[in-house]
Amino acid sequence: MTDTCGYDGDRDEAVIGYVYDDGDAVERASFEAHLAGCARCRDEVGGLTGVRRQLAAWEPEVLAAGRPAALGARPQAWWREIPAWAQVAAALLFLGVSAGIANLDVRYDRNGLSVRTGWTGRAESVAAAPEAGPAQTAPVPWRADLTALEQQLRTEMRTTHASAAAPAADRQTAQRTASSGDADTLRRVRALVDESERRQQRELALRVAEVLRDVSSQRQADLVKIDRSLGAVQNNLGVEVMKQRQSLNLLYRASQRQ
Amino acid sequence: MTSTDEELVARSIRGDADSFNELVLRWQRPIYALAYRTIGREEDARDVCQETFLRAFRALPGFRGQAKFSSWLYRIALNLCRDWMRRQRRTPVVQAPEDVDLMELAAAAEPSESIEDLVARKDLTRIVEGAMARLPEEQRTAIVLKEYHGLTFQEIAELVGCPLSTVKTRLYQGLTVLRRELGHDGKRP
Repeated sequence: MTDTCGYDGDRDEAVIGYVYDDGDAVERASFEAHLAGCARCRDEVGGLTGVRRQLAAWEPEVLAAGRPAALGARPQAWWREIPAWAQVAAALLFLGVSAGIANLDVRYDRNGLSVRTGWTGRAESVAAAPEAGPAQTAPVPWRADLTALEQQLRTEMRTTHASAAAPAADRQTAQRTASSGDADTLRRVRALVDESERRQQRELALRVAEVLRDVSSQRQADLVKIDRSLGAVQNNLGVEVMKQRQSLNLLYRASQRQ
Repeated sequence: MTSTDEELVARSIRGDADSFNELVLRWQRPIYALAYRTIGREEDARDVCQETFLRAFRALPGFRGQAKFSSWLYRIALNLCRDWMRRQRRTPVVQAPEDVDLMELAAAAEPSESIEDLVARKDLTRIVEGAMARLPEEQRTAIVLKEYHGLTFQEIAELVGCPLSTVKTRLYQGLTVLRRELGHDGKRP
C-alpha cells in the first residue's frame, strides 16, 4: 500500500490493539474514526484479521491427537492393578458367597425355569417338593456356624466382663487370660469363616450340578413328549390319507358304473 | 468441587502427590502445545513438557505465589524451549510431511469432510507451520502465547520479561510477516 497514514500516535500498537480487541473504549473509538478515513489501516487490519483466522485453523496433528503420550495417563484405580485372574477368582468367590447368603434356588421343571432367593422361598420350595434330594433339604450350613459363633462371642464377652469386674489384684491375670482368649477366639473365627466359605463353594457347585441335571432330564422328557406328539400327528395324518383314498376309490367306482 | 491451581499448589507443597498429579493433568496439554508450536518437534516438545513439570515439582517449595501458577509454568517451559533452540543452533524445523498420502488422509478424514477439504486443511496446516517456523523466536513466542493460550499483552510481557509495547511490536511484526507469507497482502495469491 502506498497510501499515507496520518494516525496520531503509535500506529503499530494501535493496529495490533484493534485486531486483538485490546485497549479501552476511547482508544478503540478513536482508532475506528481513523479507520473510516484511512485505506492503508483498513487494509492492514483486514489482512491481519485474515492471518488470525488462518492461525486459528492451525491445529497440528500431534495436538489434535490428544494427551501427550509420554506424560502418561491418569493414575488408574488400585483395583485395576490387580491381575485379571485374581479379579475373576474374587468375582467367583463373591458369587458363591452371595448365592449361599441369598439362598439361591434355581429350578427347571414343567413350569419352566424359575429362580428363587430368600428364606421364605426356600421353605416353600422344600415343602412343595418333598421328593427333592438331600442337598436341597439339608439345613443351611453356615447358619449353625453363625449360631455357634454367636454363642462363643457371648461366652467370651461374659468372661471379659467378669475379668473386668474382678479385684485389682487379679486384673493382670485376667487381662492375660482375656488376651489369650481373644487370640484363641480370633483363630476359631478365622477357622469358622474358612470352613464356611468352603461349604458355600461346595454348596454352589452342588446347586449348579443339580440345575444342569434338572435341565438335562427335563430336556429329555420334552424331547420324548415331542416325539410322541409327532408320532400321533403322523398316525392321524395316515388315517386321514387312508380315508381320503377310500373316498376317492368309491367315487371312481361309482363313476365307472355310470 | 474442582480445586483451584493455588489450592492444588498449596497441597502439593505440603507433600500431597495427588494434587501435583492433578496440576500435571490440568496443564500438560497447554504446555505441550506451547512447546510444540514453539520448537516444532514432537519428541522434543514432549521432552520439554516433561522437563517443565519436573522442574516445577523440584522448585515448588520455593514457589510463593507471586505470579499465577500457570504463568510460572509457562515461564519454565519457555526457558526450556529457548535453551533447546540455543542448543540446536538452528531455526526450528516443523515436521510437516513433504508428500501428501491420500490413503492416509482418507483414513484420517472426518465423516463429513471431503478429500478436497481435507487436502486443503492439511495444506493450510503445512503452510502455517512453515511460516511460523521461519519467524524469529521472540515473534513466534508472542504469537503462540497470544493466539493459542489467550494471554493478555501484559501477561506476555511479564512472562518473557519485556515492556508491553515490545510485545505489541513483536506481534505486529510477526503477523505482518505471516500476512506476507500466507498471501494476505494482496501481492501473493
